[in-house]
Amino acid sequence: MEALKMENITKIYPNGFVANKGITFSVQEGEIHALVGENGAGKTTLMKVLFGMEQPQEGRIYVGGKQVKITSPLDAIAKGVGMVHQHFMLVPSMTVAQNVTLGIEPRKHGLVDNEACVKMTQQLSDKYQFGLDATATVSELSVGLMQKVEILKALARGAKVLILDEPTAVLTPQETKELFEQLKLLKKSGHSVIFISHKLEEVMELCDNVTILRHGYCNGSYPISELDERKLSRLMVGRDVILKIEKPDPKPGKPVLEVKNLEKLSDEGKVVLDHISFTIREGEVLGIAGVEGNGQNYLSDCISGMQKYDGGDVLLNGKSISGRKISDIRRSGMSHIPEDRMTVGCVSTMSIMDNVMADRFDRPENMKGIFLDQQKAIAQTDALIKEFEISCDDRSEEIRLLSGGNIQKVVVAREFTSGANFVLANQPTRGVDVGTAEMIRKYLVRQVREKQIASLLISADLNEVLEVSDRLLVIRQGKIVAAFSKASMVSEDELGEYMLGIKTMTPDEMEGLL
Amino acid sequence: MNKTKRIENTFDVVRILIAILLAYLIALIILALISDDPWNVISLFIIGPFNSKKHVGDIFTLMIPLVFTGLCMCFVYAINKFNLAGEGAVNLGGCLAACVAIALRDTAVPGWIAIILCIIVGALAGMLSTAIPAIADQVFHADVCVISLMLNYILLYFTTYILKNVIKDQGASVTASYKLGRKVKLANLIPGTQIHIGLLIALACVVFVAILFYKMPFGYKMRAVGVNPSFARYIGIPVGSTIILSQVIGGAFAGMGGSVQILGMFPRYKWESLTGYGFDGLMIAVLARKNPVLVPLSAFLIAYIRTGASLVATKTQIPPEFVSIIQGIIIVLVAAEMFLSGWKKRLIFSAAKKSLKEKEAKA
Amino acid sequence: MSALRIGSFLYSVLRLSTPLIFAALSAAICEKAGLFNMAAESMMLWGALIGVMVNGWTGSVWLGFLGGCCAGVVTGLLIALATVKGKADLMLAQIAINLASSGGTIFMLYVVTGDKSTSAMTIKSQSLPKIALPFLKNVPVIGRMLNNQNLLTYGAILAAILLMIFIKRSRTGVHIRAVGENPNAAESVGISVSKTYFLTWAISGLLGGIGGVFMSMGYTSAFTKNMVAGRGYIGLCASSMVRGNPIGAMLCAMVFGVSDAIANQLQLTNAPVDLVMMLPYAVTIIVLIIISVIKIRTHVRKIKNKASQVKDQPGILPAGLSLSLDSLYGIASGPCSAAAAGGSSV
Repeated sequence: MEALKMENITKIYPNGFVANKGITFSVQEGEIHALVGENGAGKTTLMKVLFGMEQPQEGRIYVGGKQVKITSPLDAIAKGVGMVHQHFMLVPSMTVAQNVTLGIEPRKHGLVDNEACVKMTQQLSDKYQFGLDATATVSELSVGLMQKVEILKALARGAKVLILDEPTAVLTPQETKELFEQLKLLKKSGHSVIFISHKLEEVMELCDNVTILRHGYCNGSYPISELDERKLSRLMVGRDVILKIEKPDPKPGKPVLEVKNLEKLSDEGKVVLDHISFTIREGEVLGIAGVEGNGQNYLSDCISGMQKYDGGDVLLNGKSISGRKISDIRRSGMSHIPEDRMTVGCVSTMSIMDNVMADRFDRPENMKGIFLDQQKAIAQTDALIKEFEISCDDRSEEIRLLSGGNIQKVVVAREFTSGANFVLANQPTRGVDVGTAEMIRKYLVRQVREKQIASLLISADLNEVLEVSDRLLVIRQGKIVAAFSKASMVSEDELGEYMLGIKTMTPDEMEGLL
Repeated sequence: MNKTKRIENTFDVVRILIAILLAYLIALIILALISDDPWNVISLFIIGPFNSKKHVGDIFTLMIPLVFTGLCMCFVYAINKFNLAGEGAVNLGGCLAACVAIALRDTAVPGWIAIILCIIVGALAGMLSTAIPAIADQVFHADVCVISLMLNYILLYFTTYILKNVIKDQGASVTASYKLGRKVKLANLIPGTQIHIGLLIALACVVFVAILFYKMPFGYKMRAVGVNPSFARYIGIPVGSTIILSQVIGGAFAGMGGSVQILGMFPRYKWESLTGYGFDGLMIAVLARKNPVLVPLSAFLIAYIRTGASLVATKTQIPPEFVSIIQGIIIVLVAAEMFLSGWKKRLIFSAAKKSLKEKEAKA
Repeated sequence: MSALRIGSFLYSVLRLSTPLIFAALSAAICEKAGLFNMAAESMMLWGALIGVMVNGWTGSVWLGFLGGCCAGVVTGLLIALATVKGKADLMLAQIAINLASSGGTIFMLYVVTGDKSTSAMTIKSQSLPKIALPFLKNVPVIGRMLNNQNLLTYGAILAAILLMIFIKRSRTGVHIRAVGENPNAAESVGISVSKTYFLTWAISGLLGGIGGVFMSMGYTSAFTKNMVAGRGYIGLCASSMVRGNPIGAMLCAMVFGVSDAIANQLQLTNAPVDLVMMLPYAVTIIVLIIISVIKIRTHVRKIKNKASQVKDQPGILPAGLSLSLDSLYGIASGPCSAAAAGGSSV
């Protein structure tokens, strides 16, 4: 029996971005159906349409064979569609019971009947073997438990179709295993699950059928039994290329960046960087690999001066950056490609020229007396647009109207031409199209070799870290757990084991490699 | 993609015009409803400001303080901090300028020096006024808008205290200061009107602010901080000091506006209530979309509306306060993104669809 | 003698606090919904004017009271309309509404009465009754303080208690808090965020409107232009001191009432009137700054405490242990064989 069908869905965002184009797919009762695709392939948008959070311009939705119009999450819930979002939709200061019953609270004498809430939640949790304490406060739960609260929320509302948006991204392997057991239990009881994921092995293990999205289009639906991981990944990405970057051997010069016993506590008081030390020399790229969320962003923020550190020191060209202003650090040789290009890396409502000139508009060579030298700015911007092949109407076009790849080119163009001798690149190619990514990587390597500058490359993209870096470190739980002298000699398997914590190097093994 | 931008730009202009027309229409309906002689009142309100040299002069005269406060609010609005102390700054600037003028009246100091001193004191007073909320906001994270509104009351009572206890002329029939003296009176520009040199000073300030905004490093910093503070921090712009400094500079213009207004228009200082120029200034900045070059234009519009209203008030007793209703409606409509957005969305959607088709046709 | 004076002083504190309490509650409910209410000023102005007008027309104080309430609610709903439906910037919209209200009330007063500054001469309106509590008569200090207060003064205290129960225990109250803390969460379970905002603004407007009614039909017996004079902002300040807890907001409003009462007392002495008038506003600014500093301090201390707690424990990172496709192979450059290899190795 068909539980759900989406037919010919087209969604265009107000800024003109076409997120879904004529997508059709269907889910059977008692089925776990995977929805896979690259970042930005349109999976999340499609599910938002299904859950009534976005309205499509075209297309029809059928639930249980009947055509329906879903205009709000309330509509979706009423039709038996529940969703577990990537970012949890929980009210932290309330209890599990209050969260589960939010919006459907039982009442007594006109007031919320807290006891009934707890009873109802506890029963539900026990029925599906979730093992939750209904009276616990949500903000004190582990991530895995929070996710269970989310699933419980959907079930409490009578969801027959459950959408899970990258549910395992935040879980430990143990928690993932548990989740899978529970999902299989739900499947047996007649529920359908739409499982959005990046992780092929999970899709292969858990799901019955898979639908593949690519660049907003649907690239077919297949039973899992007909596919293997290799075929599936080819359907998703569409190209089968291993990145190869030709580069001469490094000739390391004097140290540029020295990180010594760096320590950092997060706002919540967690140790997020634990005695990290390494040195980067002129003419080399040091790569840092690791699963996302293991302290990479704190490391990047501490080195770039965006956050203060709590112990140890960072020396740039021999001088500590501690207590110095960012403008001062930049002047003494730092340039920084931030992870979040839209909110940190650029001003989306200002022109390309304003963005390119942002770090140098007030340098003496770009000024005419006390005024900005417009001609120089124009000349520099036009030169960079040409050199980096930024496709745009002209230099005055606002950044927000460019594509993701071109926005990143603007950021990269600015940071590589700032005259710095150290480039901190944090996820420089994430979410960027293939061509641009390749160009950025090659440019990074060329700059480092030709101009003898130093670079720190933080990336969760293994292909990138392995090919671009000269030396390679692995970060896990805020610590350096492995160091390799030649990145190109490391295999993915070996690296994966260090990243996952299956193996760890001792300080002695890493001696001399940091 | 450039199509999207073009649609947005056209749309913005049309939207503001429609908002103004709509607000006007509402005002006219109200006037028509409450008046015994609606046609006369409406024509007085709309055509009145242009029907004599004096009235046109009144528009330009009223424009002067509004340009100053409009510039002030451009700074405030550009960095997205609703510091409304510009309102009180007008009073403080005017009051202190009057004090200076009175102190210098019987001395040998030449007139032009006295005038410059008065305006400088006014500017300093304005800077002080806006600096207090700005610092409270940046250093202590107290809400800048609430603090500035409270401060306006304090500034008002402080200036009335000075008026009544320090510079009050006991001989005058109403509460008013001593005469400011002829030598500080700003010279008349066009005979037969009240337009004074202040207009030129105001326009000079507009030029200066426009250069500061678009041709000098500080303006760049300010705009970047206003749109995206985390970017500004990342790129090395000192965010906190830029935020404070731009509010302080803005305050200087509001204070100057107060002193110029006092020197240009009145023989004595007698403000006992807030002038409303500061709040008008916010609206002018909103209409001008933070662009100082457009400030004189939107100040002219507000001055025109206000002149019409006071003409109506003198002929019919209808209080000029009804203008604030028009202003409220205009601000809300201009600020409301959704106002006419369905129309905009349809335009952009069809443009996107068209370019998609073109792409497909090519492929 | 001195007990009597203290009693009288406290009596006036309570009386002067009443509009501040309503303003504070009006801001408090908004704060719980994650909104910043600067427009209590407008709600009060309209409540005060319409209350007097309806009272004058109908001759009934109660209908006047009702009219004032409605006026406040309508003002609140207008803000909701502009910001929720119209997606206008909240601050800008409220500034605009405040601007329109201060002029608009004067204009309306003129349209109705022909007078431009006060309704005292032109509208025959009464005050809401004072309530005598005879059993308190002989209690020292407290008796003087509580007895013979205006109905709405007791109403203010009652309103704080009711609002507390409403926020904590009623379904709608729970929804308002959920929206305030995580609007996405509320939306995801079908609680309409925009409806909740509308409702919050309506309740906020109701409370503000009652505060306004007290100004013109309790504190005085006529509408005077700009009579609210910043009380809405003072209420906002009181509410933000306690993060929108209604009982706390009431107590804070009373603290501001004290500064009002002192200012009133000083006006009877030789102190210069204008400087005395500055007092309540100056106190508000200073208190606002002090609260902000305290908020920062406690935040920092919390972090430090947590830090010292966890520092000794090993393995504190909530590491995302799973290898995602993103992290295992370059999604952007898309090498599938690497992915397959990496994937199977896990």
